[in-house]
Amino acid sequence: MAAAIASGPRGEGGSAAASAMTMEWIQSLTDLEELEAAYSRLCEEERVVQEELDGLLEQQSTIENKMVVLHRMGPNLQLIEGDAQQLAGMITFTCNLAENVSSKVRQLDLAKNRLYQAIQRADDILDLKFCMDGVQTALRNEDYEQAAAHIHRYLSLDKSVIELSRQGKEGGIIDANLKLLQEAEQRLKTIVTEKFDTAMKQGDLPQVERFFKIFPLLGLHEEGLTKFSEYLCKQVANKAEENLQLVMGTDMSDRRAAVIFADTLTLLFEGIARIVETHQPIVETYYGPGRLYTLIKHLQVECDRQVEKVVDKFIKERDYHRQFQQVQNSMMRSSSAEKIEPRELDPILTEVTLMNARSELYLRFIKRRIIADFEVGDSMASEEVKQEHQKYLDKLLNNCLLSRTMQELIGYYITMEEYFMRETVNKAVAMDSYEKGQLTSSMVDDVFYIVKKCIGRALSSSSIDCLCAMINHSTTELESDFREVLYNKLKQGFPATTFQDFQRGVTSAVNIMHSSLQQGKFDTKGIESTDEAKQSFLVTLNNVEVCSENIMTLKKTLESDCSKLLSQGFGGEQAQAKIDSCLSDMAAVSSKFRDLLQEGLSELNSTAIKPQVKPWINLFLSVSHNIEEEEFSDYEANDPWVQQFILNLEQQMTEFKAGLSPVIYDTLTGLMTSLIAIELEKVLLKSTFSRLGGLQFDKELRSLIAYLTTVTTWTIRDKFARLSQMATILNLERVTEILDYWGPNSGPLTWRLTPAEVRQVLALRIDFRSEDIKRLHL
Amino acid sequence: MSMEDYDFLFKIVLIGNAGVGKTCLVRRFTQGLFPPGQGATIGVDFMIKTVEINGEKVKLQIWDTAGQERFRSITQSYYRSANALILTYDITCEESFRCLPEWLREIEQYASNKLTVLGNKIDLADKREVSQQRAAEFSEAQDMYYLETSAKESDNARQNTLENNVSSPLPGEGKSISYLTCCNFN
Repeated sequence: MAAAIASGPRGEGGSAAASAMTMEWIQSLTDLEELEAAYSRLCEEERVVQEELDGLLEQQSTIENKMVVLHRMGPNLQLIEGDAQQLAGMITFTCNLAENVSSKVRQLDLAKNRLYQAIQRADDILDLKFCMDGVQTALRNEDYEQAAAHIHRYLSLDKSVIELSRQGKEGGIIDANLKLLQEAEQRLKTIVTEKFDTAMKQGDLPQVERFFKIFPLLGLHEEGLTKFSEYLCKQVANKAEENLQLVMGTDMSDRRAAVIFADTLTLLFEGIARIVETHQPIVETYYGPGRLYTLIKHLQVECDRQVEKVVDKFIKERDYHRQFQQVQNSMMRSSSAEKIEPRELDPILTEVTLMNARSELYLRFIKRRIIADFEVGDSMASEEVKQEHQKYLDKLLNNCLLSRTMQELIGYYITMEEYFMRETVNKAVAMDSYEKGQLTSSMVDDVFYIVKKCIGRALSSSSIDCLCAMINHSTTELESDFREVLYNKLKQGFPATTFQDFQRGVTSAVNIMHSSLQQGKFDTKGIESTDEAKQSFLVTLNNVEVCSENIMTLKKTLESDCSKLLSQGFGGEQAQAKIDSCLSDMAAVSSKFRDLLQEGLSELNSTAIKPQVKPWINLFLSVSHNIEEEEFSDYEANDPWVQQFILNLEQQMTEFKAGLSPVIYDTLTGLMTSLIAIELEKVLLKSTFSRLGGLQFDKELRSLIAYLTTVTTWTIRDKFARLSQMATILNLERVTEILDYWGPNSGPLTWRLTPAEVRQVLALRIDFRSEDIKRLHL
Repeated sequence: MSMEDYDFLFKIVLIGNAGVGKTCLVRRFTQGLFPPGQGATIGVDFMIKTVEINGEKVKLQIWDTAGQERFRSITQSYYRSANALILTYDITCEESFRCLPEWLREIEQYASNKLTVLGNKIDLADKREVSQQRAAEFSEAQDMYYLETSAKESDNARQNTLENNVSSPLPGEGKSISYLTCCNFN
């Protein structure tokens, strides 16, 4: 039953579904209510079906209208089909037509091209004939330019054309013509070469240039350049010969006599540079770009030859090799008798660097010119060709005799310059003198003048390797030899203090008395030499400091000098890195001098200051700080210790203040201040204090700090922090008062004392009970 | 000077007769390539390689010197500041080996560094003129390290020749390699 009801409504969806309620089901109904329900549902279904039918009937007329329209369209469609077929036919036709036409156009084009080729060939053949005639005429008229132009035309003709032409009907004539042309070509080549040679012999520049221009037209680029270079080389050689003759005749008193060989090289290089400048346009115009290398390569051979002559003369005249040999011997042996005087080397060293500088300048010039010329010529070339050209250039520059000769000269130069520097520095050290009122002695200025001069000279050679080598040698000289000199001076130490002096003075005075009694004269040398030794020690300290500074200054100066040189394009890619590395080695020497200064100062502090300051501080122990009111006021009237101590310090430091540079003096007072703080702490812990004694110490400490603050530029509060804190403790009313300052109550104060030390200081107060101190929680 | 990107800086100088392959060794070591048709070095060349040894960055400054006699005075000026000198010869060239004592004399004049002897070109073993035994005996007698290598056919182990040389502790009185300017000087 329930299932029937459930399934009932499902049937309502569509009109055809009215059968959802089957007859059997209706007939099986017996209950009135059920029947009524079934009836009403059937009625409902009937109504719905009726509505649907009405709707469908309403649409009938619209559909009929549409049918009528469709019937009318039928004939039109047949028309369209026919039209479309016609159109397709037309398109196919047009297409065929177009293809027909275009193939004809192609044929026409081919025909036209062949026609052109035919014309070209005819032209070429005509040209050939024209050339042939032209050459003959031109040769007869000695118009070689014209003849060469004709040959050039012939040479630029397509060889296959000529070959084809020979196979034609008139092959015989053309063959004859060709033969004539070839003969003319050979003849012209011979004539041009002969004429060129004649012009060259006569030194007739216009004629030389005239025929030089003809060579490339005949396809003889290499030959032309070789011949022309030959002419130019001859010019160079003549001029160089003349110059060398002049050199030999130069008066030794001449202003330029000392650098005459450098000047001769300069003239040679300038001459070649001028030739390159003058003739580069002609080569470029008639031979095309990329040919300058060939010209310069030939010129370089002559340049090398002339350089060799000049350098040979230089070596002979200036005795360069013998001088080098002597230097080497002097370096091996230390006997001064055979040593070569460094001053004698001065002019030759300058001349060699000048010679090298000129060579570098010249080589840079030709390098730039060749690179620029290659760049134009190689603008379309492959990377390989460019590299190939770069290789040619490198080879030319590196392997030319000029480069090798200069490298050799510079090789000797470096050894000689090193010797010059070392010997001159030794001399400066030996001649060291000190003038009163000066802080440093003469050798520091002298040594740096020499080092600067030697490096400067190496720099003036424009050779980066030469410069670096001299920087290295200078670093060695300063770090080993010169630092050793200063180190040894400091090692002699600062002579004993005045107090000890006094003692020794007494004993030596006794000795002197004895000896003078024996010899009948009085000798004060002992005392004087002590003063001298003191002076010498302080001056050496100043010297060391100035050295350290000078090295940094030298480094900076060299840096800027080098960047100038590099910005002019000297040196390779690594030049900057090499110089930087060598200079940083030099800078490292500066800190070695600073270390030496520190060593010297600690030596001074421990031998001169400590032995005096310590006894002065120890006097503190003899002043009782276990005092009552009466003694306290007595101390106030007659200061028992600190004023005298300050006075002593002042006296002692005056000597150093006058003799040391402000920076060193400052460091020294710093060291002294630390020493005082440490020593005073020691004696403090050995004393005992009453309440007033603590106050007395506080007063004394304040005076001392106030004084020391005036003599140092550093803040010294920090060094006396521990002592100040100890004074605070010694001034406490009672033991537990420390807790007002300790731990959480310390406020801005940072304790430098450990709890154990606080207890130790508290115990110094005789009025504090040790139980109270022990009981403290710190 | 700001902190550089290395912990140690070592200077290594390669010396030896012309044509024994110093430049090729340096190029192999620093750039991993063998440049054929290498021309003679002019003066000195300069290459940098940073290696890591035991977690420390070591910057190696390698000075490749010209072997030709005329550059000798330039080369010599670098001996003293070098942390290591590598004396190179060509195993196929008796002459280059026979010159070693002369090189040693020259080095003594300028520096007292610990030396390494390096035989190059073992790829040309069939043309060998200097036996390993001879070189080893010579090096031992002079208290020097001895190695053979090939810049041309370098495998990894050989590439590291310079590196190993640097990282190995140097006994004796020679300048210890672990000494020298750290990054923070000046």
